[in-house]
Amino acid sequence: MALAESIDTARTDAPARRRRWRLGNASLASPLVVTLALTTLYPLVALVALSLSKSTLGKPLRDWAGIANFTRVLGDPAFLASLWRSAAFAFPMAAVELVLGLALALLFHRLVRAGRVFTSLALLPLMTPPVMVGVAWKLIFAADGGLLNGWLRAAGLIDAPMSFLGSSSWAAVAIVVADAWQWTPFVALLCFAAIKGLSEEVMEAARLDGATAWQRFRHITLPLLVPTLAAVFLLRLVMAFKLFDLVYVLTFGGPGFDTTTSGFQIWRLAFEQFDVGRAAAATLVFVGFVSLVIWPASRAARRLEARYT
Amino acid sequence: MTLAAHPARPQAPHRWSWIDLVAVLVAAAFLLPLAYLLSVSFKSPDQVLSGSFLPEAPTLANWPAAFGATALTRFIVNSVLTAVLGGVVTILIALPAAYACLRLDKAGERLVSIAFGSFVAPPIVAAIPFFFLLKAAGLLNSVVGLALVYGLTNVPVALWLLMPFLRRIPREIEDAAAIDGAGPLVTLVRVIAPLVAPGIAATAIIVVILGYNEFLFASVFTFADETRTLTVGISLFQGDRLVNFGQMAAASLAGIAPIYLIALLAQRWLVAGLTEGSVK
Amino acid sequence: MTSPHDRGSLSAFPIGRRRLLAGASAGALGLGLAPFGRAFAQAKRFDGQSLNLMIIQPHVVAGRYLAEAWEKLTGGKVNVTAVPYDQLQAKATLDVQSGTNNFDVIDYWYTGVGALANDGIIVDVTDRIERDKAEIQPDDYLRSIYDPYTLADGKRWGLPYDGDSHLLFYNTEIFGRHGLKAPTTWDEYLERSKAITEAEKANGIYGAAVLGGKAPIIIGASYTNRLAGFGGRYLKEDGSSALDESAAVEAAKALKDAAPSALPTPLETRFEEGLPAFLSGKVAMIEFWSDLGVYAQDPKGSKIVDKWDAVRIPVGGSNKTSRLALNSGFAFAISSGSEKQEHAWEFIKFATSAKTGLGLLLTTGSGIDPDRTSTLNAPEYKQFAPKVQTALAGALENGLPWPNGPESPQLMQVLADELALILADQKAPEEAIAAAHEQWTAIIGS
Repeated sequence: MALAESIDTARTDAPARRRRWRLGNASLASPLVVTLALTTLYPLVALVALSLSKSTLGKPLRDWAGIANFTRVLGDPAFLASLWRSAAFAFPMAAVELVLGLALALLFHRLVRAGRVFTSLALLPLMTPPVMVGVAWKLIFAADGGLLNGWLRAAGLIDAPMSFLGSSSWAAVAIVVADAWQWTPFVALLCFAAIKGLSEEVMEAARLDGATAWQRFRHITLPLLVPTLAAVFLLRLVMAFKLFDLVYVLTFGGPGFDTTTSGFQIWRLAFEQFDVGRAAAATLVFVGFVSLVIWPASRAARRLEARYT
Repeated sequence: MTLAAHPARPQAPHRWSWIDLVAVLVAAAFLLPLAYLLSVSFKSPDQVLSGSFLPEAPTLANWPAAFGATALTRFIVNSVLTAVLGGVVTILIALPAAYACLRLDKAGERLVSIAFGSFVAPPIVAAIPFFFLLKAAGLLNSVVGLALVYGLTNVPVALWLLMPFLRRIPREIEDAAAIDGAGPLVTLVRVIAPLVAPGIAATAIIVVILGYNEFLFASVFTFADETRTLTVGISLFQGDRLVNFGQMAAASLAGIAPIYLIALLAQRWLVAGLTEGSVK
Repeated sequence: MTSPHDRGSLSAFPIGRRRLLAGASAGALGLGLAPFGRAFAQAKRFDGQSLNLMIIQPHVVAGRYLAEAWEKLTGGKVNVTAVPYDQLQAKATLDVQSGTNNFDVIDYWYTGVGALANDGIIVDVTDRIERDKAEIQPDDYLRSIYDPYTLADGKRWGLPYDGDSHLLFYNTEIFGRHGLKAPTTWDEYLERSKAITEAEKANGIYGAAVLGGKAPIIIGASYTNRLAGFGGRYLKEDGSSALDESAAVEAAKALKDAAPSALPTPLETRFEEGLPAFLSGKVAMIEFWSDLGVYAQDPKGSKIVDKWDAVRIPVGGSNKTSRLALNSGFAFAISSGSEKQEHAWEFIKFATSAKTGLGLLLTTGSGIDPDRTSTLNAPEYKQFAPKVQTALAGALENGLPWPNGPESPQLMQVLADELALILADQKAPEEAIAAAHEQWTAIIGS
C-alpha cells in the first residue's frame, strides 16, 4: 500500500526531517534576530554607553562618568515621583479601557450589521494623529472658551469657568479621558472579534436552558474571553507606561509636576536640558522599573490564559 | 478552514430596542471630538476658543490655507508611503519569526521575550543611536529610511498579534506538509499563511496605523519638506506662536482620509481575521 | 505661518545705495530685463547655487521673504526649512554633531548662543565681522541686543535679525469703559486687572492674560517682564546667580498676585490661548511681543482694530526706570558643518542688514521686530506701527537679557519649573526662588 510505504518512509526520515526543520525554522527566525540586534541590542549598548558618560546632545560621550548619572537620577525625587506616576496612570488607564472596551464590544455585538459599522467607527480615533487628539481635547477642556466649559455654563451647572487642565486632580482625569477615547476602540475591536468568535451553539444551548443574559455572560462568555482580555490588558499596559504625546500637548507635565510621567521627564532631560547621559540612565532605570512592575501582571495573565484555554 | 462559519441562521428582522439606542448614543459620544474638530476647521482664529460647538460665522478659508501653509499633500503622501512600506517590512519579518519561534520552543520563547522587552522602553533616547545608524547607511532624510525604522520597531507588536493566530494551527497540518517533503518556509507560505491570511491583514492594518501616527522618529530623522510626514507637518502648526487651530484641524482631517480609506477597504478582512484567530 | 495677510510688496525693498551697478541691475530686473542683469556679475553672483536655511515656524513668512529677495538679488536659491520653535537648538545640534550637515544657515534663539558655541555647532565670525564692518555696521545694533545675541566666550558667533521684547498691550475700549489709564507700575496693573475682572467676568472678559504655560519661553517671559520692572537681573557681573536679590522674589510675587484675576488659568495659557483672547477683546491687558501691534490692526483676525495701545512694561518696587525684557530674539549663524560658509556669510549679512531688516519690519506676518537703532527709528516703521515704535524707542536700548551661557537651557528650565510650582500654589514665591537660586548656583558652579 502506498500509504503504508509512505508512513514507513516518514518514520525513518523523521530525525533528518526534524533537523532540517529546526534549521529551516532557525533561518525563518533569522530576520527577527537581525531586527532585534538592530532595534534592541544596539540601542541598549548605546544607552548603556551614554548613561555611563557625560553626554550632551552636542557632545555625546565626552567623558567617563561612571555611575554618576545613575546616582543623580535615582536621587532625584522628581524622577522617582515620575516613575510612580507612570504606574499610577498606566494601570487605571489600561483597566478602564479594558472594561469600557469590553462593554462597548458587548453593546455593539447585538447590532446586525455591527461588524462593518463598528469597525469603521472604531478605527477613527486610532487613526487620528496623537498630537491632534491632544489638541482636540485641549480645546474641549480649555478653561476659557473650551467646549466643556461652554456647555456646563450654558446648562447653568457652573457660572465661572472651571479649570480642568490647570487643576492637579482634574488634569490627570483629563489625560485618562483623552487616552481612553483614543485607545478604547482598539480594545473594543479586539474584544469584539473575540466575542464574535464564540461558538453560537454553546450560547444557544445556554439560552435554551433558561440562563439569563447576566448568567450567560458570567459563566460562559467571560471565561472564554479571559485569555484575550488578559493579553489585551498587558499590551495596553505596556503602551500606557510610555505615555508622552498627551502629556506634552495637554498639560506639559503640569500643573507643577502633577502629570509628569517618566516618558515626559526623559524627554525633558534629553531635549530641553540636552543632558543625554542622564536621559539614558533614566531610560534604563525606567525599563527596569516597568519590567519589575509588569512581571506579576504578565505572570497572572499567562496563568489565566493557561487556565481558561 | 473557516472555523467561524456556522450554519446560517435565518436573520430575523432586527427590532430596535433601547440597547440599540444606547449603542447609537455611545457611538455619537465617541465621534464627538472628531465632529468638534470638523467644526473647528470651519472656525476663524477668534472663534475657536469661544465655548460653542458650531462656528458663529463659518469660514472655508482654513482648508485651502492648510494646504498652502505647509506642503501638506506631500506630507500625507510621505506618511502613507512610510507607513505602508513599514508595514510590509514588519510582516515580512514578523510572520516567519512568529511561526518559527512557536516551533523552536525554548529558544523561540526567549527570542520573543526579548522582542517584547524592547517594546517596553520609551523610544526617546533610542532615537539618537538610530539617527547615527541611519546616517551611516545614508538613509537619513529619506522615506525608505523612515519606513525601515518603522518596519523594524513595529515587529514586537506584530509578533504579539500574530502568535495567537498561529497557535491555533494544528500540528497535523504541518506534519502532513512535512511528509510531502516540504520545509518550514514552503509550509509557511503555501499552507499556513493562507490559513491565517485574515490575521495577517489585521496585524498589517494595525502596524500601518502605528507607523502613520508615529511622531518622534519622523521629526528627528527628516528635515526637508520632501520627506517629512503628516505628524511632523501638524507639529509645525503647533510650533507657531499664534496656532491656527482651524487650519490644524483641517490638516489633520485631511490626513486621516487616506489611511481611513485604506483601512476601510481592508476592514472586511480585519473583523473576519480577528474573529478567526480568537476562536478556541 | 502664512496668514491671509499679504506678504508686503517687494517694491518696498530698498536698493543699496553704495552699489550703483547693483542698483542698475535691480532696476533692470524689475523691468524683466534679466539678461541685462546677468551681465552685471555682482547681481547674479550666486546664480545656480543654493543654501539651506533653518528657521523657526513663527518666522516662516520672513524666511520666504528672505529667500525671494535673495534670489532676486543674487540668483541664489534658499531652501527654507521651518521647525517648531521649541526644536530649534536640538535640530541644529543634531545636524552638525551627527555629521549630516544639511543646513548652512541656522536661526538660533540668542539664549542658546553659549551652548551652540560651546558644542561647536556654529562658526566663529568675529574676524568676518571685523573685516566687513563697513557693510554690517555693527554699531547700528542696539547695545543691549548686540552683545547678548552674539557674544560668547569673548568671540562673536552670528548676527541678530529679530530683536524681540515684550510690551504691555491694553484694550483702550475696555479701559475707557472703566475710566482707566494705562498702568505704569505693577501695582497699578494689578489694581486695573482686578477691577476689570470683578466688573466684567460674568461676560467672559478679564483684566489680563498671564501667560504661565510651563515651557521656559512662555512662563520665563512673563517672569522676566516683572524682573526687569523691579530692576532685577539674572546674573551678576561675575556670572553668578542674581536670584538671591530682592527683585527676584518681588517679581515672583507679582506673578503670583496677577493670577487670580487673570484669564483662567495662567498655567494653561500659552501663546495660542492668550493672543486670540486679546485679539477678540476678551482680556484687557497682555504682555506680548511688539509685533502683536501688527496683528491687532489686521481686520481679518482682530476684533480690536484701533482699540488698543501699547506701553512699556510697568515698573515696580523701588525701581522707577522702565526696562524692557529681551524675551525671545533671534540671530543667524553659519552652521559649522556647512561647506558653503562664505556663501552662507554673504546671505547672513544680507538678511541682517538694515535695509532687509526694515523690509521685514514692514511685512505683516513676518514676526520680526527691530534690532538696530536705524530701523527702530526709521520713519517708515514709525508710520507703519506708531504705537509700538513709541513704546520701544528709548527703552529697548536698555533691555534685560536672559542668560546666554552654555548652561542657559538648564537654568531656564529650572526657573520655569519653580515658577510653575508657584502658579500651581504648591510653593511660596520665596521658597521657589530660593530653590531656583540654589540650583542655579550648583549648575553655574560646576
